[in-house]
Amino acid sequence: MEYAVETFSLTKIFSDWWGRNKVYAVDDLNLQIRHNEVFGLLGPNGSGKTTTLKMLLGLLYPTKGKALCLEGEAANPKISARIGFMPEESYLYRYLSARETLDFYGRLFGLPGKVRKMRIEALLDMVGLKAMASRPVGTFSKGMARRIGLAQALINDPDLLILDEPTTGLDPIGTKQIKDLIIKLAKRGKTVLLCSHLLADVEDVCDRIAILYGGKIQSQGKVRELLQQGDMKQINTGSISGDALDKIRQIVNGEGAECVVTTPMDKLEAFFIRTVAAAQAKDAPTSGAVSTTQIGGFLTEQAPVETILDKLVAAPVSEREVAVEPATPEAVTAVEGTEDNTPDKQLLIELAEPVAAAEQIKTEPVVPDGESSAQQPTREDILDQLTGRSAPDDEEQTQTDKPTGDADDA
Amino acid sequence: MHSIWAVATNTLKQALRMKIALVFIILLLVLLPAMGYKMTGDGTVKGRLQTFVSYGLSLTSLLLCLLTIIVSIYTLTTDLKQRQIYTVITKPIRRWQLLVGKLLGVILLDVFLLCLFCGLIYAITIYTPKYLESSDDEMAQLRNEFFTARASLSPPEVEVGDEVEKAYVRLKQSGRLDQLYRGLTRKEIIARLTTQRKFANRAAGPGRGLLWEFENVKPTDPNQSIFIRFKYDVSVNPPDLQVHSRWSVGDYRKFRDAQPIKTLFEEYDRSDAIRTFHEIEIPAGVVAEDGYLAVGFLNLPLNNTVVMFPPEDGLEVLYKADTFGANFVRAALLILMRLIFLAALGVLASTFLSFPVAILFCLVIFLTGTVSGFIIDSFDYLSADVGAVYSFTLKPIIRLLPEFDKFSPTKFLVPARLLSWPLLAKATLFMVCIKGFLLMIFALIIFSFKEIAKVIV
Repeated sequence: MEYAVETFSLTKIFSDWWGRNKVYAVDDLNLQIRHNEVFGLLGPNGSGKTTTLKMLLGLLYPTKGKALCLEGEAANPKISARIGFMPEESYLYRYLSARETLDFYGRLFGLPGKVRKMRIEALLDMVGLKAMASRPVGTFSKGMARRIGLAQALINDPDLLILDEPTTGLDPIGTKQIKDLIIKLAKRGKTVLLCSHLLADVEDVCDRIAILYGGKIQSQGKVRELLQQGDMKQINTGSISGDALDKIRQIVNGEGAECVVTTPMDKLEAFFIRTVAAAQAKDAPTSGAVSTTQIGGFLTEQAPVETILDKLVAAPVSEREVAVEPATPEAVTAVEGTEDNTPDKQLLIELAEPVAAAEQIKTEPVVPDGESSAQQPTREDILDQLTGRSAPDDEEQTQTDKPTGDADDA
Repeated sequence: MHSIWAVATNTLKQALRMKIALVFIILLLVLLPAMGYKMTGDGTVKGRLQTFVSYGLSLTSLLLCLLTIIVSIYTLTTDLKQRQIYTVITKPIRRWQLLVGKLLGVILLDVFLLCLFCGLIYAITIYTPKYLESSDDEMAQLRNEFFTARASLSPPEVEVGDEVEKAYVRLKQSGRLDQLYRGLTRKEIIARLTTQRKFANRAAGPGRGLLWEFENVKPTDPNQSIFIRFKYDVSVNPPDLQVHSRWSVGDYRKFRDAQPIKTLFEEYDRSDAIRTFHEIEIPAGVVAEDGYLAVGFLNLPLNNTVVMFPPEDGLEVLYKADTFGANFVRAALLILMRLIFLAALGVLASTFLSFPVAILFCLVIFLTGTVSGFIIDSFDYLSADVGAVYSFTLKPIIRLLPEFDKFSPTKFLVPARLLSWPLLAKATLFMVCIKGFLLMIFALIIFSFKEIAKVIV
């Protein structure tokens, strides 16, 4: 079957004890999400997003119709072993520490001890809670608890990740991290289904979206197709002289188009991340989450991790454990410590580099909305005329940026 | 299995870290030694130990029962209410595994606490005589009557059905039936006559005697003592409230069959207070090799009253069959069976009730369970009138109640009675294997139809 998630006239009617007051939370929903797709389920409050997810996961039983995940019902342990779910709020056992929490979920998946330990450390590192891993999660702030919620959803390295309002309660770094993570996972062939009403997040990461209202799909399609303004073009440059600007104006006017020149504003998100990263670099004390923009090692490895890690538990894992741990202590230094590392870490860093925004942003000026123009077919003749020098460079830039997707700096 | 175990250990951590168990642990850790120190009983060392074991075990059992009810209900209802179950049930775990995991967690907690507290009670019990520097006599008495596990034999019930039937016919023919039992059905009259006849078999007029014959008396060691434990009831109180008697113990076949038998024959002249328990210590040599033992009682004429031995516990032969330690372990296991039943009950209640209601529900079951014998008896008594309706509706439900009073550990430990493995197995079978299992099946059925996310408890 070609769909990772499929529903067949899925309907959920909520009624009172007498069977009256019928509310159609979800009404005859036919949803098809292909494998390796990032799908966003949007809609105002009460439009049936969460109800749909809950039916997919077997937390609610459909009144009518059927919901399939990975070609089976989520209640089947074989299926649910391949699903990661992050609910809209982190419902955690307050008395467990962060590490114990993840250990508990790892045990539910029956992960062998070594794999579990390795993944827990990698995940704690990824969500930036390593320093407070022994604190009961009951003492965590909402955002920190969300991070644990994310970590528990990833502990089984799921094929299908279901995220309910993934970014609410998270600081911008956490938000960005989740977005980066989603893109990474999609690159590794995973399917992600997220529901949200934070449109910016969805816009950044989703391949396809569906907008629900009143339990029905009102609009559905590829984000790019839905949002692209085909008749506009945007050009971004470094600092150039007024002469050059005039020339550009002339060229553009020669084409018969309007030209508006503005100095781009930095995005608040980028600015925030830069500021926090600077504070972290100075080792400012914090009792909160130490944000990194790294992605847990086992999640970024391209090889089918399950088979390599789980089958060859004995020797290779212990090496991996060592390989992952050194990367952990200083969150932000990931990029600097590249030279002397094992191949595993190399891979991790390679993959993390384009998104390791903290470092990158510090050194380079942010290019806002760069990718939206990069994605479009460029008029090379105009570009050549404009810059004269940097056309090939630009192309390269576009090529390298592309795989990491549009989350970058967006 | 791994998922069951994960849930079980998590439940254990929950109970310990959420300080639910802590309150009970501290309470018992303070109370038990204090009880051991302060309780004096009737002044003798034996009385003191009996009181301590009785109250200590009862208190431990009661508090652990309450704790079990609370924890088993708390763990699932909070999961549902605080929605931790969302992230648990969406993992590869079946719903029955979640329930069994919760149950197992509570049982683990119970085992741990039971070991702790029973160990403490045992230690205090063993240590007290040494602490009190008891005399050799007291120690000997303790060894024989407390630090032991004695099997008990009650006189076999004599079949009185035919006799009663004849008596009934005789009464009917003589026409005195209406005069004596006006307005009663035949069944009721028969029941009354049966009771009368049974009492008559256990009563002796002045100068009359009673003889009981026992089979299968198997003391572990011929050099030890066996005991006759008895209680008198009288028709007219003697002036000094004492009954003077002659007890003969040995192989009665020597006289009946005129056989040359060499087993010991003992006679005791005694006078004992009425309506309290007494024990006669007898060398085990009186028991014949094939386990036969006869006990004779003579109501001396000077008593001038009819002496009766109340049914059930009026007269018993006790002999050592096992050690105190082994008996104590079985008593603890008996408590554990009770706790397992309650844990299953708590899990069941939490699948369809909110926390406070479930607690109330379980407490009601628990309390009725502790007096279930009384309830069953009273309903059985009434059932003659209620008939078929009762036996097909209420009776099965009442039978489903746990019989805590029937399997009470102190009932065995205080009089140093043997709590045998078969009896323990029977308790386990009824309370855990049948009733507990049924409860879990019900719980599972309810839970698998439950919509997890919809629950607002």
